[in-house]
Amino acid sequence: MASQLGLKSRINSTTSLGKIFNAQEMIASSHIAKARTVALNAKPYSDAIFDAVQALAAHTDIDHPIVKSTEKNPRVAVLALTSDRGMAGAYTSSIIRETESLLTRLDKEGKQPLLYVYGRRGVSYYRYRNRKIAATWEGNTDQPGAEIAREIADRLLGDYMKTAAQGGVSELYIIFTEFVNMVVQKVRVLRMLPVELVRNGDQKAGSATGTEQGAGVPSTIDQAGTDAAAVVQDDDTSPLYAFEPSVDKVLDAILPKYVQSRIHECLLTAAASETASRQNAMHTATDNANNLIDSLTRQLNASRQASITQELTEIISSADALNKEEE
Amino acid sequence: MASSTMKVNIVASDRPLWTGEAKSVSIPASEGGMGLLPDHEPILTVIDKGTISAVDVDGNRHSFEVTDGFASFDSNSLTVAVETGVDTKKDPTATAD
Repeated sequence: MASQLGLKSRINSTTSLGKIFNAQEMIASSHIAKARTVALNAKPYSDAIFDAVQALAAHTDIDHPIVKSTEKNPRVAVLALTSDRGMAGAYTSSIIRETESLLTRLDKEGKQPLLYVYGRRGVSYYRYRNRKIAATWEGNTDQPGAEIAREIADRLLGDYMKTAAQGGVSELYIIFTEFVNMVVQKVRVLRMLPVELVRNGDQKAGSATGTEQGAGVPSTIDQAGTDAAAVVQDDDTSPLYAFEPSVDKVLDAILPKYVQSRIHECLLTAAASETASRQNAMHTATDNANNLIDSLTRQLNASRQASITQELTEIISSADALNKEEE
Repeated sequence: MASSTMKVNIVASDRPLWTGEAKSVSIPASEGGMGLLPDHEPILTVIDKGTISAVDVDGNRHSFEVTDGFASFDSNSLTVAVETGVDTKKDPTATAD
């Protein structure tokens, strides 16, 4: 049986660990609320962009490199969103497992995946294994701002827009954790680029307006705001948008923003998942610490009682021996 | 029938900036400043760095310093989405510094 002193010190250290886990759990649950507000605040923007892209898709026949990859290029980009810090259960390891299986699949398809990693844990995992990483980002994985989303989107779009000869990529996959609810978070693989547009208009109307719009939009710089009604007439039922300065310019401006806001969305849901899985992990750890303390206390009590019993036996038996001598 | 106000929704990438009814809005469109009144034709335009100002139903002016983005006007509702924006809190015509 372990010494009482040893048990006592184990109980003490487990108690203080339990306190740390408990504190981490409380920090995580306070962050969840924050992550939710951040995601809620970013939603109107992504909705606005989505609506605009929908309007564009319904209205014109988009022929933009972001929507259609023009050349054959085996290189593809894979972005894995991991966490900066540990203590989040299986969060990073499930992402890494999914990333590995995606990389293997892409390899089998004859593609050359380039790895991009966000989050210190993922970066150190791949660095330690001497894997080639195209680019890494670290910091604030639990509360990513619009800045980091812009940085990542700029780099990835930059690589996407390059030609094969310049070392560009033809597709972009993102592996992130989707926040379903506090208990369930799912690892998902999303093909971000080329963008797949869901168009609600029929193909015929789209292609017909595409050419007309580009040439026919009158430049309506109307400081007074008078309604310039001379937009291209068209029998399609979708709203007759005028695009300024031109359809192409608007596409050039909006599509990168669309990609950026999608990436931001992924970062935010990943951050919420990270916080939730950290809270779950810390909750389990606190429970485990309490169970351990209980069983150690029981052992301590048993060993204390055993030693008391032993002492009593010794005293009684020595007293007996003395009595016998006197007789 | 022309209505006298329009719905305006100004959002930055990290938070919504302002929502409300407005009598007129001016935006820094890429081709020059653009004023929008209620019942404007549907338009989707790129906007540059500059100031957006909206005059609400009570005649108060709300202005925002924004970076690039875009604005879309459709069925009497204007949506302005910008990268970043700050509420300037004052009337730009009164305190031009």
